[in-house]
Amino acid sequence: MSVPRALPQSKEALLKSYRTRLKDDVKSMLENFEEIVKLAKGDHDTQLSRMTQCEQDTFEMHVRAANIVRAGESLMKLVSDIKQYLILNDFPSVNEAITQNSKLFRTKQAECDQKLMSLRDDMAADLYDLEEEYYSSLNK
Amino acid sequence: MSYSVNISVEAPIENQIQEITYDGTEIYQPPLTLSESLTKYAQKIDFSKTSDIDFKKEPGEAIEDNKSDSDSKDAFQSSLWPWDSARNKLRNAFQEVCVLADVLAIAKDKRYMVLDPVQQEPIETKPMVQIYARKKALAGAASVLLTGAERLKTSQNEAARNRTVPDFHIELLRLRQNWRLKKVSNTIIGDLSYRTAGSKYTQTGTFEVTKAEDDDKTNSPPSSPIPGGATTAKTNSALRVSIPSELQGVAYIEVLCQKDQEDLCSVNVNLLGSGPPASNPDMHWQQKLEAAQNVLFCKELFNQLAKEAVQLQAPIPHMVVGNQIMATVFPGIQLIIGLCHSTVGDKKQQNNNSSKTDHDHVLEHSLHQLLREVHHKNTHHPFPHPATGPLGPSKKRMLAGPMAADRYELLEMTKSETLLEQIIKQAQHFFMRLRTEYVLDTIAKEVKDPLISSHWNTLNSPTQSCVKINISTHGYDALCRTPLVIHVGEKSLKCICRDGKVMHMSYEPQELRDLIFCHINQHQILAVQALAKTMGWQFLANSNHLGTGAVEPLGNASSCLLASPTGDRIIAVRCEPQTGIQVCVAHSPRSDFFPSRLVTERKWEHLGGQFRDVRLEKMEGRNFLHKMELLMASLTSSS
Repeated sequence: MSVPRALPQSKEALLKSYRTRLKDDVKSMLENFEEIVKLAKGDHDTQLSRMTQCEQDTFEMHVRAANIVRAGESLMKLVSDIKQYLILNDFPSVNEAITQNSKLFRTKQAECDQKLMSLRDDMAADLYDLEEEYYSSLNK
Repeated sequence: MSYSVNISVEAPIENQIQEITYDGTEIYQPPLTLSESLTKYAQKIDFSKTSDIDFKKEPGEAIEDNKSDSDSKDAFQSSLWPWDSARNKLRNAFQEVCVLADVLAIAKDKRYMVLDPVQQEPIETKPMVQIYARKKALAGAASVLLTGAERLKTSQNEAARNRTVPDFHIELLRLRQNWRLKKVSNTIIGDLSYRTAGSKYTQTGTFEVTKAEDDDKTNSPPSSPIPGGATTAKTNSALRVSIPSELQGVAYIEVLCQKDQEDLCSVNVNLLGSGPPASNPDMHWQQKLEAAQNVLFCKELFNQLAKEAVQLQAPIPHMVVGNQIMATVFPGIQLIIGLCHSTVGDKKQQNNNSSKTDHDHVLEHSLHQLLREVHHKNTHHPFPHPATGPLGPSKKRMLAGPMAADRYELLEMTKSETLLEQIIKQAQHFFMRLRTEYVLDTIAKEVKDPLISSHWNTLNSPTQSCVKINISTHGYDALCRTPLVIHVGEKSLKCICRDGKVMHMSYEPQELRDLIFCHINQHQILAVQALAKTMGWQFLANSNHLGTGAVEPLGNASSCLLASPTGDRIIAVRCEPQTGIQVCVAHSPRSDFFPSRLVTERKWEHLGGQFRDVRLEKMEGRNFLHKMELLMASLTSSS
């Protein structure tokens, strides 16, 4: 079942998009973290006044932290998407489930048939006796 | 105020220290030159402020002026100058542009003035403040990160804690294992139709799978006071299926057999049995989907039946009215097939129906089976499959070419029974069986003397069954028994008699009744003959169809003549379906002889005398054969 098959174009694209999403998110986490560390270091000459600079840094750090969180959530979403994709497109396992189900139902059917047959045989034998008794009795 | 002291503030004489060398000498900044200090002070002047003040003063005065006047005048004045503000702004802009042009001209020409960079006052740096600010910023960022992480952690914990409630993906996997699903853009679409199983019904059975999350959120606030109970009571899973409205609810096919507006039997076909009403929104998705599939199946079945009912050319045309198909099974008996689809669980009606008709599910099952068979045939084509050419034709049809089938054969092949025809046949057979049973039972009840026992064969098909009838006399089973076999078909009965004769009868129960009565008479005569043999009596004559005597409404009387071993007694038995059994006895020769003018010699008495009736009902004996045995025994011993 592990034979790699040529996937259709759209599927290929989808898988690629999953891969890029993963890389983008991880990269974004790393980059944002690096940026925060850089900001913490300070020492960049700007034309802005100190206070403004501080405010800007604070704000930027917040945004970057939020970005990291967003990337994390996005990764969770990606995991969920991949799970869904796997569940919906994992035909070998579906086939396995189907064969298993059909096997189960077949055995169940055989079992039921067998039980019904034995029940029928018993009932037929009993019915014969009962009919014999009923028709030869005077109380009909 | 009297203590106030004048404090003169002046710049320190010392110049600012520029640098302190390692040996402690301080290098001072050179003092500013006059021009430098002029430019410095000039730079400090905020020109815009002064112009602002001037500008502000003007409207201030105007307001003061206006305050003295009335409001109406103010309004009047503003209306006088509707473009006043625009004009002011334009003028200001014009001024600024003029100044800008002047400055540019001065800077460009460099004739009167030179633009020189002014040294900025070194900004005071307070490292601690900066560190605090940075610390605060980092703390803020950290808190954002922490809350994010916390949220993820809680969601994970939630999932771990609710291990009993399977999460969306596990549910989805379960669903996928049982149903067909695919993803269309952002939604998951499922298919519950029987199309993959061979159905050709056009109605689609698509359903949508969604996460039940948003719904839970709306539900959770009221259920939050009892968190423990809420999770256990929530039998619904993390998955929600939405089914099109036309497939919601419960559907079943009702099969009724009516005899002149009177219910003979009605089968309430509910493929789900007594399932829960579908109105329950919290039903598990599996049940929900199964119910919907059942609805689809019922619809397809009914659709197919209705189509066939319209197309079929029956002697009494089938009627399709609304959700009911009416077909005539036998004269006076109708088969009604109805589709019941209830979107709301009207339990009352369901119970009513089921209480009326909880005895027979055979026709329901047959209908079910027939459609499944059609589905199966649609997908399972006979092998070998042609590499080119259509898959549809049967094996017989494929052979028709090489075997050079003629037109008639081909026409025969195209004939196929429709579902409706088949179910009508089954219903007919059902009635035939019912009638046969009834006739046999009533005859067995009516006729006590020969015992009529019937044994139904257990091996039968939906349109054929078989019953074996044994006519025997109690206590004389070994002596004589008349077996009969009746094949119950769809519209006719086939009776195979004891002597191998085959009788075909129609669906009228009277015919069977007559046949059985005929056989009862025959049995009695044959049994008497067999008894006579064992008693040593002679069997003189036998006629199954006696020409003499009163005309019978059905059949003929049968009779036999028996002679005692010595030949001096003769018993005549006549058996008629209508009047019953007559037994007569004759003696020959008579024990006493008186010669008369006509019969002068004793030998003529051997010709046999007059028959005299035996009053059987006065005789001892359990049944006819017993009485006959006693009679024969008494006649034998007396000789």
